[in-house]
Amino acid sequence: MAERDHFLDGLEGKIGRTNAKKGRLYFEVADKDLPDVVRHLFLTKGCRLTTATAMEMYRGLEVLYHFSHDASGGYYCPRVVITDLKDPRMRSISPIVKGAEWIEREMSELFGITFEGHPHPEKLLTRDHPNPPQRPLRLRRRT
Amino acid sequence: MSNTVVPVGPFHPLLEEAEFFKLHVDGETVTDIDTDIGYMHRGHEFISERKTFTQSIFLVERICGICSTSHPLAFVHAIEDIDNIDIPIRAAYIRTLIGELERVHSHLLWLGLAGHFIGYDTLWMWAWRYREPILEILETTTGNRNHYGMLRVGGVARDVPPEMIPVLLQPLDMIERKMDMIAKAAADDPVLRTRLKGVGVLSRQAAVDYCAVGPTARASGVAIDVRKDEPKDAYGLVDFKAIVLANGDVYDKLVVRVLEILESVKIIRQCLEKLKSAPGPILNDVKEVSAGEGIGRYEAPRGEVFHYVRTDGSNRPLRHKVRAPSYVNIPTCEASCKGIPLADALITLASIDPCYCCTERAIVLDRQGVRIAADLVGLSREKTERLRREIHG
Repeated sequence: MAERDHFLDGLEGKIGRTNAKKGRLYFEVADKDLPDVVRHLFLTKGCRLTTATAMEMYRGLEVLYHFSHDASGGYYCPRVVITDLKDPRMRSISPIVKGAEWIEREMSELFGITFEGHPHPEKLLTRDHPNPPQRPLRLRRRT
Repeated sequence: MSNTVVPVGPFHPLLEEAEFFKLHVDGETVTDIDTDIGYMHRGHEFISERKTFTQSIFLVERICGICSTSHPLAFVHAIEDIDNIDIPIRAAYIRTLIGELERVHSHLLWLGLAGHFIGYDTLWMWAWRYREPILEILETTTGNRNHYGMLRVGGVARDVPPEMIPVLLQPLDMIERKMDMIAKAAADDPVLRTRLKGVGVLSRQAAVDYCAVGPTARASGVAIDVRKDEPKDAYGLVDFKAIVLANGDVYDKLVVRVLEILESVKIIRQCLEKLKSAPGPILNDVKEVSAGEGIGRYEAPRGEVFHYVRTDGSNRPLRHKVRAPSYVNIPTCEASCKGIPLADALITLASIDPCYCCTERAIVLDRQGVRIAADLVGLSREKTERLRREIHG
């Protein structure tokens, strides 16, 4: 993305491995830096959170937030990698972006990730389920 | 916190799918809303990872009966985003044509039901009457009234032959005339304005905070429309306006949709004119999809549909994430329903455009389960009738 350098000005040292293509920028951030990155994208740059995607990969659990910059049509996607698969936890961005509440609750339920600081950490999909499945989207890697 | 809860759901005609709104009320005023979803979780993402890309098109088409073009369009956009696949110009016009026909019939469906809920049954019958010719156009061009099966990675499955186009253009004049009439009626009818103006207001800031999309956001002054922000297919080649209003109430949501129908008819007309002579094939042959990740989105009738696909070079997605517009629009009811009278709750919940059939099952219970009030549709229609008597005597 041509505007990448200017767009992420102020986040020097917080951006890890990046993958840029036409209109898309995927970049890794450490869990501790995620709130600053989200504040920059959502509050400073006026991006809109579309959703977030969790996935289990060989190196751990990845949580990829999708921020749309509607003025330019581009997407900025910070990615957090969690390597502790037994007790995966990371910071919640819901205190900054209210629109993240549901998707973080969903990821917590489907992948077993604890989002620290989430204002309403109850289950989203199986709140009244008598026998809810445990982390149903984990451990389904193709062989 | 009040001690009376009005349950709407989990199975209720207001809701396209099973969801559960618990309205906390104090007297006639809604003080809080609690939303419970998960009754219709069908595991599409999980299933998609076990299907080939072409099979997944048919799968995602069935996420929603109304948005059965929007989901597959966003999905094929995501696959095409991975390898920067271009589509033939003729396919681009056909995709846009089908997408806009879907928007018109979806908005007309909502318009009819909104009319029914506030006691305007004539509007309901008119809107659904005018929806029929649109469904007939879809049937003529795709073979189906819903679930069109038109999309493929790299183009579309079926052509729209030039000799068919004059027949398809005929109903558009009538739709345009009738929508003009409804737009004027909405502007001139004092009862409708009084009934819907200032009801269920979603402020611009709340729309931004909740990350709302589609007509829900545009009625609150948030100028977002995927068709303008990231024009794919033929959206960069046709002339149309994104409709943005400022008040965020139910009236503005209605007007946004009526005006969008007129813009969609404009787009449909342009696409059909271009398809009379647009050259080329309708499908680029895509042999394989390389490893990578792609984002696809489309402006569905209710707002941005988003698909993310991660691939590993095989013929199936490694991860497929789907986000439908209602997922971000439903939480906005927290902001728009608080403080409104119970009689306005139904139309406010409906204003985000969940789809529903027309039966009535909601009752008001106190904590002991005793029925204490009429159904919500009845309350809503009573309020309209009261306003009508006050205004017209």
